[in-house]
Amino acid sequence: MAETTKDLAVTTVEAVRSKFGEAVLEVVEHRGETTILLPPDKVPAVATFLRDHPALRYNYMADLTAVDWPEREPRFDVVYHLLSMETRAVIRLKTRVGQPGEEHPAVPTISHIWPTANWYEREVYDLFGIAFTGHPDLRRILMPEDWASHPLRKDYPLTGVELPEPHWGGQIPLDQALPEGIGRQTMRITQSRPPTPPRPEPEPGE
Amino acid sequence: MQTGEQTELHITDSVQVDETTRVDTMTINMGPQHPSTHGVLRLIVTLEGETVVKTVPDIGYLHTGIEKTAESKSYFQTLVMTDRMDYLAPLSNNLGYSLAVEKLLGVEEMPRKAIYARVLLVELQRIASHLVWLGTSALDLGAQSVFLYCFREREMILDIFELVSGVRLMTSYIMPGGLQADLPPGFDKKVQEFLDIFPERLNEYHTLLTNNQLWLERTKGVARLSKEDAIAWGTSGPVLRASGVAWDVRKMFPYAGYEQFDFDIPVGSNGDVYDRYLVRMLEMAESLKIVKQALDGMPDGPYQISDRKVVPPPKWAVATNMEALIHHFKLYTEGYRPPKGEVYLRIEAPKGELGYYLVSDGTARPYRMHVRAPSFANLEALPHMVQGELLSDIIAAIGSIDIVLGEVDR
Repeated sequence: MAETTKDLAVTTVEAVRSKFGEAVLEVVEHRGETTILLPPDKVPAVATFLRDHPALRYNYMADLTAVDWPEREPRFDVVYHLLSMETRAVIRLKTRVGQPGEEHPAVPTISHIWPTANWYEREVYDLFGIAFTGHPDLRRILMPEDWASHPLRKDYPLTGVELPEPHWGGQIPLDQALPEGIGRQTMRITQSRPPTPPRPEPEPGE
Repeated sequence: MQTGEQTELHITDSVQVDETTRVDTMTINMGPQHPSTHGVLRLIVTLEGETVVKTVPDIGYLHTGIEKTAESKSYFQTLVMTDRMDYLAPLSNNLGYSLAVEKLLGVEEMPRKAIYARVLLVELQRIASHLVWLGTSALDLGAQSVFLYCFREREMILDIFELVSGVRLMTSYIMPGGLQADLPPGFDKKVQEFLDIFPERLNEYHTLLTNNQLWLERTKGVARLSKEDAIAWGTSGPVLRASGVAWDVRKMFPYAGYEQFDFDIPVGSNGDVYDRYLVRMLEMAESLKIVKQALDGMPDGPYQISDRKVVPPPKWAVATNMEALIHHFKLYTEGYRPPKGEVYLRIEAPKGELGYYLVSDGTARPYRMHVRAPSFANLEALPHMVQGELLSDIIAAIGSIDIVLGEVDR
């Protein structure tokens, strides 16, 4: 069983390599899982190819998410977990986007290939601010519609000192805060709190 | 499409409807406080008479940022948060997370007792989750007594959980490296009691509903999902199987020792509410088979792995042994550091494929944890299911996909 899954991953990598030669930037294997790293503009083409490949038939998109590496360039990983319900093959596709200064890095959508990607892409847009070009309905999904920032980015703090407090379900940008009233008071209290110092990371090893 | 070329973002609704041909539509708001939405789901429903033209789910009312919080907690602390996602099946969440962390750490061996106890408890959890689904979805369609009966049996399972972990709901009993504590004396007796009583009770539910004319009329042929759509919309679990796809992660990618147990996978054919009902009813009987096998074959021996870098030493050793004290201190102040890397681990939770995507940067805290929640994808398929059906069928459809909003919103 484990053999077969591994063999199918090898077959997948070979198939993608022979079709999209130079587009495969890197192939990583870790703990028995294979990852193919692709440039963002090649993702829909490779996804369609894998879905329609007669011997592989990746017909199921299991998961789509992103990881933020703020020190790295490009900054975000967009991660796709694909599965074939007919051959039991699994593969992970990955692409990197987000040049410095880019507010909403763009990745082409795959929601026309697997409709389930629609909500997953909305979630990544909501929480990471990655825009999926060609997406039919790119709105926030979990956070309130008027939220101003993207919480799963690493620079979004866990305790809110740098960001304005939520107010009536949304978030008021600092420069548009109400001159007086509840919103104003909340802001003043928030801003007078000293910033949390970063927790030092313990030394590696014993 | 080229990258860098920012196309205009359309702020429209998911399901495209030609509004010009509809002359007499009404848009109503269902939820977020509607009792039949099973939590805080809001549906914006466009109706033409009683027929559903368009459904737009609005989620996020229960978003608690669990994925964000996990990034600041140790692997051990994150375990506790996994209970709170699918709060009707906390042990399944614990198992998925524990297996993912074990894979990340490279733990290969697991004592047989831990394997058997895990499978037993997770299958009991599946029955408990299905009982809540059965009770509430029947209640939505007007069958009040089923609800009371289901909670009576669920109580027995919760008593077992209380016995092993001291907690009825948020157990955190399955942890990376084994179990939190050994199974208590009297455990097998209590499970045996449940095993003796449940088949009869399951028959009782069948008598109440399976051939009930009112139940059949409300569920047969309602909210259909074809095989192709079920796969394309990413549904999993009983919703997928009711549409005729023989897919169960327990069989396809056996984890946690499921290959040692003998059980069948019920598969439907029509993909309607009734088939989803029947698939879950039959699944409960299969789970019971697994529980029985696990109880009969429950071996003696350790309930955790012996690696003290992962599991804490026993309390008596901490008081007498210097090395154990150091391990204890290191585990509870810092935790363990899995090597750099990423894993995606899928299990078959009661609601479908539950996936944990963990990224480690070599520190003691998960760099990123993403949960592929089965309810999220199953809910996404809802508008597709109910299009063209009657308004009252939306209630039946929501009940049949068995969503938990804590898991959808995370």
